[in-house]
Amino acid sequence: MEDNTATNTNPEVRILKNGPILIKGLFSFKDSSGQITTGEQELYLCRCGGSKNKPWCDETHKTIGVPD
Amino acid sequence: MDKTDRNYTNGEITVFWQPKKCIHATTCYRELIDVFNPRKRPWVNMEGASTEEIIKVVKLCPTQALSFTYNSEVESEEASKVNSPEAMPEARVMTDGPLVLRGSFTLYDTDGREMKSMKITSLCRCGNSNDLPYCDGRHRKIGYTGK
Repeated sequence: MEDNTATNTNPEVRILKNGPILIKGLFSFKDSSGQITTGEQELYLCRCGGSKNKPWCDETHKTIGVPD
Repeated sequence: MDKTDRNYTNGEITVFWQPKKCIHATTCYRELIDVFNPRKRPWVNMEGASTEEIIKVVKLCPTQALSFTYNSEVESEEASKVNSPEAMPEARVMTDGPLVLRGSFTLYDTDGREMKSMKITSLCRCGNSNDLPYCDGRHRKIGYTGK
């Protein structure tokens, strides 16, 4: 869908194999405290449940595994 | 709270079902079979429609066997935005819950294939969903905690 805010980066979310969730492109990102960051993003979010630095991935999945 | 009571969430709202109040008026599944399907288990699929559509049908329940609540108070003001898709997609991390995505973006699976995304898509963060990569509410059962 075209709109006025279209940029070269199409916003996308990727479930990475054996890894985190990747949020890429123009997004409004709101963390659990309500803090909003708007703009081009490249964020790696934990989806194995084991990161010690949530919501970010800290590669704990390499130790405990992540289901697909 | 009766032990037969059930709740279902999409990360944004939680729908409660109290079977003892249900008179099988069939309103919910005539209105929104993608969410309320008595032939399926669980019979409520919170990914089947937008939060707004789910709320609309829950409110039609004649006996209030179905009810709902916003998962956090902030959500009530958020929900009013659901109607007008914003220019920029939004990703929101729910405390102790899923990643809630809304707006226009493309979702890819682990093999790089495009996946279905709803107006609101909740992705599992706890790693225990039975419907990966989507959230199925299991984070509550396992007591997942995460900022």
